[in-house]
Amino acid sequence: MNKSLMVLAVSAALTAGTAQAEISVTGFASVYGGKVLSGTGVEDFGLGPTFLATYPTVGYYEDAWSFKPDSKYGLQFSSDLGQGLTATAQLVGRGADDYNAELEWAYLSYEINDHWTIQAGKKRLPLYYYSDFFDVGYAYLWVRPPADNYTWQIFNYNGVNAQFNYQVGDWAVGGNLYTGREDDPNNKLLSEFFGSQPVREIWKDIMGGVLTLNRDWLDLRLTYMQYTNERYRNGVRVTWDGKDTRDGTFKGLAANIDYNNWLLLTEFNKLTLDSSDFDTYMVSTGYRFDKFTPYVSYADFYSEGGEKHNTTSLGFRWDFHSSAAFKLQYDKVEDNGYNVLPDNTVNNQMVAGDSTAITFGVDLVF
Amino acid sequence: MKWLKISLIPLVLSAQFAFAEVAVIVHPSNAAAIDQAEITRLFTGRGATFASGSKATPINQAESAAVRGDFDSKVLGKSSSQMKAYWSKLVFTGKGTPPKEVADDAAVKAAVAADATAIGYIDASKVDGTVKVIGKF
Repeated sequence: MNKSLMVLAVSAALTAGTAQAEISVTGFASVYGGKVLSGTGVEDFGLGPTFLATYPTVGYYEDAWSFKPDSKYGLQFSSDLGQGLTATAQLVGRGADDYNAELEWAYLSYEINDHWTIQAGKKRLPLYYYSDFFDVGYAYLWVRPPADNYTWQIFNYNGVNAQFNYQVGDWAVGGNLYTGREDDPNNKLLSEFFGSQPVREIWKDIMGGVLTLNRDWLDLRLTYMQYTNERYRNGVRVTWDGKDTRDGTFKGLAANIDYNNWLLLTEFNKLTLDSSDFDTYMVSTGYRFDKFTPYVSYADFYSEGGEKHNTTSLGFRWDFHSSAAFKLQYDKVEDNGYNVLPDNTVNNQMVAGDSTAITFGVDLVF
Repeated sequence: MKWLKISLIPLVLSAQFAFAEVAVIVHPSNAAAIDQAEITRLFTGRGATFASGSKATPINQAESAAVRGDFDSKVLGKSSSQMKAYWSKLVFTGKGTPPKEVADDAAVKAAVAADATAIGYIDASKVDGTVKVIGKF
């Protein structure tokens, strides 16, 4: 699907909507400050003490206080065009990108019936449990979804999505099926953090599905996606074992419990790229004392290629206002990516070294 | 765990002082049997029809309305903040739209009395013959 054409169609639909229907504007914002308390950095890369808080947007903290890595705002414009048709666009600006507003979502929705809705356009790739609402800090517990799990370099796609919603006995059963592609001409994570040359990252033939099962205090989510990866570094096509594409599959399971004010949030994911595995998981627990929710969290990343890291986090969320939450979080990262192989050579797959960091701030919705 | 018990006392007290009963109301012509689970389904966007299969239009009260917090906690079993977080997740991912909100008990009553598909809630003391009560909480 032609990206600019789709965006144009959504913009046109939004503008046309003003004639008959009103455009509803909603939004969210997060303002956070933080710094590294201690860290090893990675000498080989000339990297000082660093806490990489968000991989996809490359938001990282260093020794000095910074208010950019986790700060962001979003504005959503939605227009009901009648007869089940809706146009939606979401602008997001992130501190990690100097607050430049980008059109992150732009799609048309058509409600076929009470159970099925078809959407077309630019959307978030729904890999992980929190991918869809990664930017909406108010909607989740921590300062940010655990970084060791949320490491994907492609997070939006252009395509078609069909979502469904059924009630089966006591279970709310929902989910979606999607297909599309993404062509990122200058991928931030690969170009700036994992390397210093411009990388064009393409995920094509994306096909995936999500199934959610929800009952009372239990929330389960299953996800699957497959894609073909194509990459150009400095304009030169990257090859893997002589092949100019490689195939990936992503599988994930999340199970969440919210019972008697106890929260247990878990997520397990496996990405297989050319038969090499990347395993991630996280476990968080918290207790809600009315408006105050302290939590602990552990997240882990393990790849057969040698990249290994984990984060232990401690923090709280305080719902001090009906539309805003204050959060404070301490993170301790262990980077075990320095691998000495049997023949005494080193496979250095470190990301940013060990670190401890503190972050605090406010999430709000309007 | 003494500190835990102490911190819970104010919550228990405040719950006891909330006297007002919430009445969930529908149009007088609506004959559907509607239990708490179904009310929750309709007000959390997980269903759009009554058990009979006919269309349902939930009507919420504005956040500033006194009865809103009682409805969220007694019927939906969540705080208003939790409901807001829940809807934020759906609204910003294109998965749902929260129920329409009106200002107060009188506005809900008028909307429900005028619409055979509507379901709303008001302070139980404000109920009159224009609407039908399907449950008190």
